[in-house]
Amino acid sequence: MSDFVKKRLNKKRRVLIVDDEEINRLLLQNILAQDYDVMLASNGEEALEIIHRENGKISLILLDLMMPVMDGFDFFEILKKDPDYGKIPVIVLTSDKEAEVKSLNLGVADFIPKPYDVPEVILVRIARTIQLFEDKNIIKATQFDDRTGLFNSEYFYEYSTFFDEFNANDSKDVIAVNVNRFHVINAMEGRAFGDQVLSCIAKGIKAYLEHAEGLACRHHADLFYLYLKSGDHEQALYESIVSALSGILEDAAGRIRIGVYKNADDSLEFGKKMDYALLACNSINGDYNRQIAYYDETIIKKEQYEEKLIHDLDRALEQHQFVVYFQPKYEILGEEPTLCSAEALIRWNHPELGMISPGVFIPLFENNGLISKVDRYVWKVAALQVARWRDTFGKIIPVSVNVSRVDMLSRGLTEEMKGIVKDAGIDADVFHLEVTESAYTDSQSDLIERVAGLRDAGFAIEMDDFGTGYSSLNMLTSLPFDILKLDMVFVRKIHTDEKALRLVGFILDIAKFLNVKVIAEGVENKEQYELLKSLGCDAIQGYYFSKPVPAEEFAKFI
Amino acid sequence: MTVDELKKLGADTEEGIKRCAGNEAFYMKLVPMALDESKYSDLKKQIGEKDFNAAFETAHALKGVLANLSLTPLCDIICEITELLRAKQDTDYAPLLEKLDKVRGDFTAIL
Repeated sequence: MSDFVKKRLNKKRRVLIVDDEEINRLLLQNILAQDYDVMLASNGEEALEIIHRENGKISLILLDLMMPVMDGFDFFEILKKDPDYGKIPVIVLTSDKEAEVKSLNLGVADFIPKPYDVPEVILVRIARTIQLFEDKNIIKATQFDDRTGLFNSEYFYEYSTFFDEFNANDSKDVIAVNVNRFHVINAMEGRAFGDQVLSCIAKGIKAYLEHAEGLACRHHADLFYLYLKSGDHEQALYESIVSALSGILEDAAGRIRIGVYKNADDSLEFGKKMDYALLACNSINGDYNRQIAYYDETIIKKEQYEEKLIHDLDRALEQHQFVVYFQPKYEILGEEPTLCSAEALIRWNHPELGMISPGVFIPLFENNGLISKVDRYVWKVAALQVARWRDTFGKIIPVSVNVSRVDMLSRGLTEEMKGIVKDAGIDADVFHLEVTESAYTDSQSDLIERVAGLRDAGFAIEMDDFGTGYSSLNMLTSLPFDILKLDMVFVRKIHTDEKALRLVGFILDIAKFLNVKVIAEGVENKEQYELLKSLGCDAIQGYYFSKPVPAEEFAKFI
Repeated sequence: MTVDELKKLGADTEEGIKRCAGNEAFYMKLVPMALDESKYSDLKKQIGEKDFNAAFETAHALKGVLANLSLTPLCDIICEITELLRAKQDTDYAPLLEKLDKVRGDFTAIL
């Protein structure tokens, strides 16, 4: 920060001289002109006009007391009452001891006696008054972020206006910096380590700021912002941060993501500019191969598209635009694979936008919590489908449904689930709940209780996406679940990669030890199927048997 | 008009030039402005009309300017007048005004 302040101090501040005597004005102007932009007024009225015209962007007023039209005291009284300009410091120019006391009592910052002191004294008095005033304001508006030594968000916001003021003719960039899956770092390595990561990022940012004109803050959590004069910052900034992290975080290069809003539109409010940088930053969230993104047309379009999806959600639920598909799961322990259950998966058939991939709307709704509406819709449809198959074919096909992280936070979840199976007229044990592994990493103790409650009520719990989160072996032993769903990333390579094969074998052994079943996801070909069978995998799901299909079409598997 | 001539008349030119951040030419430009007749005739008129408030303001302003330029002999007389006016003394200002005219005349003579 000191660097920025230093740079800022080198900018010329504006001083307004208010005196009716031309000679006095000229004398002061002559003394100040080198260090300040000087404005002149010959009475209080003129001075007020100038202050309004300049939007109060004046660092100091030098005020003569005895003037025609509007004298110094009247002027000062009006100025002090003004909510916007009342805080501009005023130094009184006077030759009367009496007036000095009176004006100091009224709240002027200082006085300069007439005849004037030597110029050096006047300059020091002026500089000190300005600095005192600015420091006072800064201290009020700020606190530094303890963890990183960068500005906090309020201060950053405040200082951005100074920055704008002193760089009015330059275009500026807003940059957001964030960490991919920072919560996992906290969960796995502990908060102290997380803090260390944050302070290293700050170090990288500070190092970059030494060569760039601008300011930076830690906004909250792992979100940082920079406000800079426009330039080619992003790559060098990225490198500076990664290098600061390299000592402690192995995969730093893929962890950092940067969103850039270039040549920010001046007419926008600062918060909006920050939003745009963040939008760009979040557009590559989770993409470990892209580190820098720019706010541009595609992001605007994506944002508008997502807003439309959010807007249309309620109507879509009412009008049954969502269609639940089912993908069969086959048990493969016996001679022939046999259908053992199905996973309910959602599709959105949007009247204007056509079929929307769940890969688009699920992450969106997961982020804003709306996913719980969609989940509930699927739960009800899926539970009724189990009953329908039973009534039509006389067979029970258990169905698994996804339970999102946010659903797991709901206190009434167990009762709600019980209600759903009861309404559908099926038993809890044919209704499986898939909880994603990453949900377990978030808030363990609460989650364990909730899952235990669901299991007590008879529901089977499947741990979804196993292997993509950051479960430790230790966690596996303490978490309650019945079935482990092996993520497709492990399955994909088992027939070509010896190591992948051995890893899967190892996971299957652990599952046996924990006495849970394993379902392998994303099985696409015969080789994978046979390898998994030979390793003792309980069941598989994937295109090898069938893609997800509508309920009517699913009948052919029963 | 030269600095030496001003000095001879009793002006503390050194101090005056210091206030001009050492710029002698600038100082020499300001001095004639401080001797301009209008303020002085205003003062005489206001005193003649016994408008002591207005006269005080005029004298006070002149005093500030003359002090800043260190035109000491003129400033001393104006100071005396200012203090009398501040106390709203209805005294005979004629001798002081006469003296003021004379000293100002000495200065304008070398312009």
